[in-house]
Amino acid sequence: MSKRSTSDLTTLSIAEAGSLMARGEVTSTALTEAFLARIAAVDHKIASFVTLTADKARNAARQADMELSQGVRRGPLHGIPIGLKDIYETEGVLTTGHSHLRADYVPAVDAETVRRLKAGGAVILGKLATHEFANGAMTPDQPFPPARNPWNTAYQPGGSSSGSGAAVAAALCMGAMGSDTGGSIRNPAGFCGTAGIKPTYGLVSRCGIFPLAFSLDTAGPLTWTVEDSALMLDVLAGYDPNDQGSAKAPKVDYGAAAHRPIKGLRIALARSWYEGPTPDMAKGIDEAVRVLREQGAVVEDVVFPDIWDYHICGRVIITTEAHAVHRQDVIERPEKFGYTTRRRFQLGAFITAEQYLRALRFRRKLQLDTRAAMRGYDLIMTANHWGAPEIFEEPQPIFHFLDKASLTMPFNVTGQPALTVCCGFGSDGFPLSFQLAGRPFDEASVFAAGAAYERATPWRLRRPTL
Amino acid sequence: MTEKKPPTLEEFRARAALTGLPLTSEDLEHLHKGYAGLLSLMERIPTRWAWAAEPPHVFRADE
Repeated sequence: MSKRSTSDLTTLSIAEAGSLMARGEVTSTALTEAFLARIAAVDHKIASFVTLTADKARNAARQADMELSQGVRRGPLHGIPIGLKDIYETEGVLTTGHSHLRADYVPAVDAETVRRLKAGGAVILGKLATHEFANGAMTPDQPFPPARNPWNTAYQPGGSSSGSGAAVAAALCMGAMGSDTGGSIRNPAGFCGTAGIKPTYGLVSRCGIFPLAFSLDTAGPLTWTVEDSALMLDVLAGYDPNDQGSAKAPKVDYGAAAHRPIKGLRIALARSWYEGPTPDMAKGIDEAVRVLREQGAVVEDVVFPDIWDYHICGRVIITTEAHAVHRQDVIERPEKFGYTTRRRFQLGAFITAEQYLRALRFRRKLQLDTRAAMRGYDLIMTANHWGAPEIFEEPQPIFHFLDKASLTMPFNVTGQPALTVCCGFGSDGFPLSFQLAGRPFDEASVFAAGAAYERATPWRLRRPTL
Repeated sequence: MTEKKPPTLEEFRARAALTGLPLTSEDLEHLHKGYAGLLSLMERIPTRWAWAAEPPHVFRADE
């Protein structure tokens, strides 16, 4: 059986670990113990976990091993150790949203996504740090220490799925669940150098996940490789009658799609969106374009609506809906929020119904205009973020959306699937990354291109040192 | 009516009194700046729409 070292085990991909377990060369128990040992050794440096469920994880791993020994394999996540952003409700396990407001909240039922992950044999190691209720900045007045970037702990990991990005990059779990309303999966995926997908709006259930903005919220995974995100989505995707936004989409084998050739795939490069990133980022994306062309894809510059249009449209919707979700608490217990979160949730009280409806109408226009600009192309490619993450000790501005347009917001506004792919490292040592977005419910093409790029480049071999 | 000009701090304070939120003067200053910034960015959103440009609804009568 397993003679691999802890680091050998924790840096396996989900696909590799699954193959080894299927062949009887590694057990889920060995994997789980390796991750628990690494969390004990290094997580104090990055504070990615807020609640560890070691005993439950060990039991789940033993169950997975027993089933495997009887020839039962539930799917690609069977026996795979993962983490959950602490806005996913978990039966019998504290679910705080990284907020004093839910500091003692222990749900009685799992979120639908958690139910699917458990039914698929995944081993849940614990709950991960997040920006408060997936929106606020990380401020010192919150119940847990904020997560740090494993590439340099003096910097932010991005957010709001901050712990998810940090834990996956630091090899503290093989995959992690995040949520993305304006970029909260892709932002930490980019800054931490992992893969991460915001699925098409409606593909993955949000039932049992703390909401931020119903019209834009999506749930999805962060993993070390693109193929692993595809494998996690294989388990997560599917209609849920308890989520009003859930779609009845045909079942697709995303894991298989990650091995499709991309010859002839047509990619529209939205270069105008990211004019002015750091020279490293611009170079990284140009190089990624070259690699995708080498793989047979056709990449051409295409003009899309202005990035600021998507940015303000999404921001008005988020600000209004987040206020509606949290209104009672910002009136009755405002002191329980972090000081930044509170102000962000208060702001929506000043937006009129007319302004909100105007943003919803604008969303429809942007969706149609994006579709028209994308005609004849399978994917959109653009930068994932502007440059290095923020320094940890410098407090984020309260209204962070006023200075820079979000590069991730376009695909929340249009509802399209969007994947973050690491494309090298800057001279400052931080990861560079680009986004690939597909037509609605065409995650398969997104995974095919992202995985083809990864296989052709060496970036998955470099990990942060802690 | 679409707002064109950002409210002064005094106008904003009067409006805040109608929101039902318990706000400190520090909250008000931050929110005033945030709202003015948001309003300025919102100039990008068209104000006139055809009747046909209804927002997408989540409600459907057949479900």
